[in-house]
Amino acid sequence: MPILPRLASLWRNLSRKAGVERDLDEELAAYLDLLAEEKMRMGMDPAAARRAARIEAGGVEQLKERVRGARIGAFADTLLLDLRYGARLLARSPGFAAVAVLALALGIGANTAISSVIYGVLLRPLPYPEAGRLVMVSRHFARSTFPYGNLCLADYLDWRAGNRAFEDPAAWNRRRFDLTGATEPEQVSGAEVTAGFFAALRVRPLLGRVFGAGEDGPAKQRLAVLSESLWRRRFGGNPGVIGQAVDLDGNRSTVVGVMPSAFHFPRPDSEVWTNLVFDAPTRRGPFFYRGLARLKPGVTLTQAQAELDAIARRIELADPRTSHLTFPVVPLREAIVGDARPALLVLFGAVSLVLLIAAVNVANLLLARATAREREMAVRLGLGAGRARLLRQLLTESGLLALLGGAAGVAVAALGLALLRAWNPGNLPRIQEVHLDARVLGLTLLVSLLTGILFGLAPALQSSRADLAPMLKEGGRGNSASAGSRRTRAALVVAEIALSLLLLAGAALFLRSFVRLQQVETGLLVPAARVLTMQISPSAAKYRDDKSRIAFYDRLLERVRQLPGVAAAAVSDSLPPDREGDADTYVIAGRPLAPGELNPIVSAPTVSADYFRTLGIPLLKGRLFDERDKLDAPPVAIISEGMARRDFAGQDPIGQRIKRSGPEFSASPYMEIVGVVGNTRYLGLASALDAVYYEPLPQNAGRKLFLAVRSAAAAASLAPMVRREIRTVDQDAVVTAVATMEQALSDAVAQPRFRTVLLAAFAAVALLLAAIGIYGVIAWSVAQRTHEIGVRMALGARRSDVLRLVVGQGAHLALAGIGLGLAGAFAVTRVLANLLFGVSATDPLTFILVPLLLAAVALAASLIPAQRAAMIDPHVALKYE
Amino acid sequence: MKETQEEAASQTNLLQGTLDLLILKALALGELHGLGVARRIEQITRGTFQVKPGSLFPALHRMEESGWLSSAWGESENKRRAKYYRLSKAGKRQLAAETAHWQRISLAIASALSAT
Repeated sequence: MPILPRLASLWRNLSRKAGVERDLDEELAAYLDLLAEEKMRMGMDPAAARRAARIEAGGVEQLKERVRGARIGAFADTLLLDLRYGARLLARSPGFAAVAVLALALGIGANTAISSVIYGVLLRPLPYPEAGRLVMVSRHFARSTFPYGNLCLADYLDWRAGNRAFEDPAAWNRRRFDLTGATEPEQVSGAEVTAGFFAALRVRPLLGRVFGAGEDGPAKQRLAVLSESLWRRRFGGNPGVIGQAVDLDGNRSTVVGVMPSAFHFPRPDSEVWTNLVFDAPTRRGPFFYRGLARLKPGVTLTQAQAELDAIARRIELADPRTSHLTFPVVPLREAIVGDARPALLVLFGAVSLVLLIAAVNVANLLLARATAREREMAVRLGLGAGRARLLRQLLTESGLLALLGGAAGVAVAALGLALLRAWNPGNLPRIQEVHLDARVLGLTLLVSLLTGILFGLAPALQSSRADLAPMLKEGGRGNSASAGSRRTRAALVVAEIALSLLLLAGAALFLRSFVRLQQVETGLLVPAARVLTMQISPSAAKYRDDKSRIAFYDRLLERVRQLPGVAAAAVSDSLPPDREGDADTYVIAGRPLAPGELNPIVSAPTVSADYFRTLGIPLLKGRLFDERDKLDAPPVAIISEGMARRDFAGQDPIGQRIKRSGPEFSASPYMEIVGVVGNTRYLGLASALDAVYYEPLPQNAGRKLFLAVRSAAAAASLAPMVRREIRTVDQDAVVTAVATMEQALSDAVAQPRFRTVLLAAFAAVALLLAAIGIYGVIAWSVAQRTHEIGVRMALGARRSDVLRLVVGQGAHLALAGIGLGLAGAFAVTRVLANLLFGVSATDPLTFILVPLLLAAVALAASLIPAQRAAMIDPHVALKYE
Repeated sequence: MKETQEEAASQTNLLQGTLDLLILKALALGELHGLGVARRIEQITRGTFQVKPGSLFPALHRMEESGWLSSAWGESENKRRAKYYRLSKAGKRQLAAETAHWQRISLAIASALSAT
């Protein structure tokens, strides 16, 4: 078939449409004339002949429509026409258009944003070659509260010695380094790593090299790899940095390489990696290290686990004190993002519900409009429009709406993502890597189109079924077709209410849980805004041993106490609510444990004498630490009330003796318990663990300590003065994490706050959409029943009767939706159980209040049209007929 | 309303292919306007096929766009402007091809029906 004439015709049809149409008009007019003439020649009079010709031709408009349909480019042509018509219709009812587009934009936008986060965080492969083979190895033993605890170096060496399943087993320890030298001292985040670390990840340096095999272990030269950001910031991006020395925690280290800025492991802010220099371990502990390795090709996770299980058995056999030891192997991605998954999946469920509600709402609006257009459709059918042609037009219109919604949704999603990233909620892993993904975007467009087609279909089918005769006869008040539509719309609204209830119930549970979390007794009696905290590390070069460091902190505390407005000051290696220092298990004098038995691992902060007074932790029994508790004095400890209850129920804990457990402490003396203080938490607010024992600073001094300063008024303003005092005592001290206790408490609930705020926002959107849905249905039904209501009022119904009638209709819908939603919510909220704190997934208060709220909103939404109905003037209503 | 539409549709289906062939044949003898084509077909099929305008005009336009027909405005027997269609070269080729095709089919059908 020749292509050229077809293209020419297509061009002509699309570009010179008016001319083509005129041609067609003339051609058909000539045809009718010729036909009539023919009939006149056969003896008919002119008027009869013309009428007969017209009847034989069967409707000029229908004829034209058929010719148009046969033309090339008819599809594109009508699409353009429909789009233009659809756009005009939307512009003519801006309220309808705005509500529909807004609903879709919110649904699609929220969905795209959360899907992008889920894809970026949970699904996207880690940015390393063959990342699927990377695994994390950790340690778990009986009674330990941590399923994925840290390894010790002896574990790592045993693993490496027995390894056959892994390429490049490595151990690493995340830590912060004080970087001192030529310029301003600063603290940088980084890690100590064994040689296998970079090899396992298969990353290449931007400059220089990474650590080679054999560059870790005893008596090795200290090396450092810098991040690109640190290299640019401190060394001006000078390639000559390779071979230079930097001071990290007072250790002179040689820079061997620079990593590109895309490398963020183990943390997004990691800026320096040092080779792990260690002496051959003499015991199992301390447990500071994570295992990282790449599975050999073809080795499964199960095989790798079996190998590590065998290694664990050998360790148990060699040391009877260990029992139930395992080294769990998990994929690296799982280890990084596993904790974030449940909350993200809940949010994904929530946004899916929002999209569903939005789509139902739009379907509802389309249906309402379809009813209003029944007459138009009937007339067009009568004028010769084909049914398929009408269907196509209606689908084009709903598709247009969906695409507009989709476009606005992309904007909403981009905005939402930007907000999420700026907010950087409670250490959500990989959030920096999240961006609007092309695939997610494509999916969104598909979803929005499908939404349009799917939810445009029902109303479109209904409209195109419209029957001409009754429609025109009844003056557009069509009742027969409306009955089905009324039922459909009612069902849609019921579904909408039910779905909203699901969301509201989830949000309410999160909200209640969050409030509970914030009400957790911190155990601190001083108002949190009056306590300023910061972390200090004195320069490692000047303060080499415990004695000099204790002297440093003593001098500093002395000076800080002199500052105006300071009521008390103390240093410690831990701070509530979650800045944990040391944690260890312990033994009690005179109470031997069975082999393999352990007391729980509890927080063991080291604190200076004024610590309890500074934070407001009350003394319940005995005494606090004081100047008696020097380095060479008899060791003492203070325990928390929770530990006293757990271990010394019915006895006097004062005078009892405890010490750290483990073979390395077998020679160390017991500490005598001298006091009992109130409970406070060091492992986060949600932690149930309230057993704590404190040791006095001089008897166990760490290198980096927290300074806590209590002021008479708001403490934030003290920060500059305190910094100045620190500078005076030690020029090179590094000060970080300056925050009031209030901020620290708020940060501690950042993740629950994140999911609570998001879920609450989604629920609010759902509630709004449901309210619009109910309002729409009731208002439409009032408009349809104007005549009926007029008759009722003419027959003596009072305004209150009308009000009751209309509101009753809304109440029916609300009740049905709430019933359905409650059943669903009871089934669904159980999945939230693990994310809740202090609230059960079937919390009665939630399940009473949420339906009440929804019912109230439903009533309010039907009250407006009800009042309008009550205002109907029977005279006008009946004349309107 | 419904009946006429359905009738028209079924007639189109019946004539699809046949109608094209008949139009090509009718125009092979010389150029004609729309009504002329209809009347010529009635004539050459001895009144068996009465082509309704609802089928005729879409077919004419479709065939013109396919390049088989060309059209021009001319003057009719009653001195009116009318659109005249004629076969193009491609149309003549198409007529030959369809004629051969049709003869093959009718032969096959005839032998199928006379088989015992």
